[in-house]
Amino acid sequence: MRHSTFWGAVLGISVSIVPLYIVLFVSNGMIQGITDRYLETKTSHLQLSLPFNLSSETRKKIQQDIARLEDVSIASFEVDGIGLAASPNGSTSAQIRGLDPSIIKDEGFKKFIQIDGGTIFPEKQNEAVLGRYLARALGVNVGDSVSLITLRNADEAQMLPKLSIFRVAGIVSSGYRELDANWFIIQSEAALRLLNPSTAYAFIGIKTKHPYGSELDSLASEITHKISQSDIPGAQGIGIRTWRDIERSLFASFSSTKSVLILIMAIAIIVASINLASALTTYVIEHRTEIAILRSFGVSPRQTATIFLLGGAVTGTLGCIAGSAVGIFISFYVNQILRGAQAAVNFISKLLAPASHPVTLLNPDYYLEHIPISINWNYIILILGIGFVVSALVSLVPAIKSSHIAPAELIRHEQ
Amino acid sequence: MHIGVSKTLLLWRFCEVNEPIIECRDLIKTFSSSAEVLHILDHANFSLEKGNICTILGPSGSGKSTFLAILGSLERFDSGTVRVGGYDLHTLPEKSLFMFRRNVVGFVFQFHFLLNDFTALENVALPRYMAGISRTDSWERATRLLDLVGLKNRAHHYPSQLSGGERQRVAIARALINDPPIVLADEPTGNLDTASSEEVRSLLQRLPEATNTTLVLVTHDSELATIGNISYLLKGGNFECLA
Repeated sequence: MRHSTFWGAVLGISVSIVPLYIVLFVSNGMIQGITDRYLETKTSHLQLSLPFNLSSETRKKIQQDIARLEDVSIASFEVDGIGLAASPNGSTSAQIRGLDPSIIKDEGFKKFIQIDGGTIFPEKQNEAVLGRYLARALGVNVGDSVSLITLRNADEAQMLPKLSIFRVAGIVSSGYRELDANWFIIQSEAALRLLNPSTAYAFIGIKTKHPYGSELDSLASEITHKISQSDIPGAQGIGIRTWRDIERSLFASFSSTKSVLILIMAIAIIVASINLASALTTYVIEHRTEIAILRSFGVSPRQTATIFLLGGAVTGTLGCIAGSAVGIFISFYVNQILRGAQAAVNFISKLLAPASHPVTLLNPDYYLEHIPISINWNYIILILGIGFVVSALVSLVPAIKSSHIAPAELIRHEQ
Repeated sequence: MHIGVSKTLLLWRFCEVNEPIIECRDLIKTFSSSAEVLHILDHANFSLEKGNICTILGPSGSGKSTFLAILGSLERFDSGTVRVGGYDLHTLPEKSLFMFRRNVVGFVFQFHFLLNDFTALENVALPRYMAGISRTDSWERATRLLDLVGLKNRAHHYPSQLSGGERQRVAIARALINDPPIVLADEPTGNLDTASSEEVRSLLQRLPEATNTTLVLVTHDSELATIGNISYLLKGGNFECLA
């Protein structure tokens, strides 16, 4: 094949492969990063829901029994509810999280929590740790006071607001704003006093050694069985859910978004492959005479077909390798590339319009501030393998076409 | 034993020792168009013994090139018997024709048809290499043949770097690469100037003796026609032996 045609086909395929890698690794990294943050800082791997009025002794016994199980890393009590947080600078809704001190031993939790100031956990019952964006909305810093308004049942018919004052002991972030925007973290004992039993949710958050495997469901079954066999009062009101159940709609939307993106990239690859087939077919047509020469001195139809089949497969594979190298490189350094692109855009924007607002390419409202990328070699091998097979398949038609060229072409060429 | 001859091809070979190397009986070839039917070969008979140089003459359009193409299995024919190198081309299956072209005939066309992206040495060696012979053997034989045609020192030149006569000599060497018993040459000097034609004529004249081949030559070139020890005139769809 003429060099320009060959390199053109290689370039076409490699260019179509690059975005596939970026979508795969970046979307996987994004989804994994968000999932990890949800699991380690919010939902835990399993949630064992408890009746709100369960006694403290019973609750602690359940917690200790679960913590002793082989696959369990940590079991911590939490009670969640909603309220209104207020400061002299404003007010906003708050997601109240009543945590117990065992959370400090949770390495997964600490791994994903960035401390902007103060501590990660309120040491006193009148202290609170706020999410970064809640603190900004209220315009408070460590040491300031914030008010929290919750609803409590006065009697069966009435609900009364309860005002509590907390000192800001810390400001934290999980790196994903949508998760921690309204965090108002207080001690669980304080939350039990402040929250309405009819609207609050109490549970034991369980962390395991294998949150993504089938072992999680086995552990859930084991805990369910243990609880049902125990003499705990109100055991019927105790249920267990995995993180997949808790955030089912969120992860389903991630999965479908990723599938659509991959489908779009696959279409791009199909187009590039058709381009390869077209280039090969054109080459066969343009070089009918050369093919007829080969046939005239005894090259079999199968040999000529094999030449074009291998030629197409090699061209496609080279394109896949080149595209893979570029795609992996961009994926690996995507954070740096995005920061650089953002700086460049803002620099140009400032030159052209000095009063313009800075541009943020990945809005932290919706995306992680830093995308964790891990290169999955299984994907790379799969893409290279599929690239080779698809290239060979699209080369079949021109290969078969070449095998039908008869040496009599030479006679007609002369005439 | 011919190179790479398959058992399938051998099944179709007739082993009559004294048989002419080329024999045609009642050969009919027609070309049909919507306007008319052209009888190119009309019950033509032809015979040639091994080791001869046969020239085929005739007016333009008489079917000389078509006849040569039939002998080389590049064209099919309508009816009759055509035996070349012991193989009956009428009954030889389509899938075995490439083996016949590889082992029994070497074809030299009016135009050299060398592959421009390959050197002279590669052009000559390619048919042997693609027949499954080792690269070393193929390149060695190609070098010897280029030496035979006087182009050993041009082995690594591309066709674009060779003169017309040199290209045609490379094409002749290529036709000989697989030791065919028969070489078919269709107007080999048709595109060449006088000097180049003389080079090729001289080469073709000594070819049968040097390579133990039988040469069938179609030509308008009166000088070239003199190298044959047997001549046929193809006229009216049939052959007339001239000498």
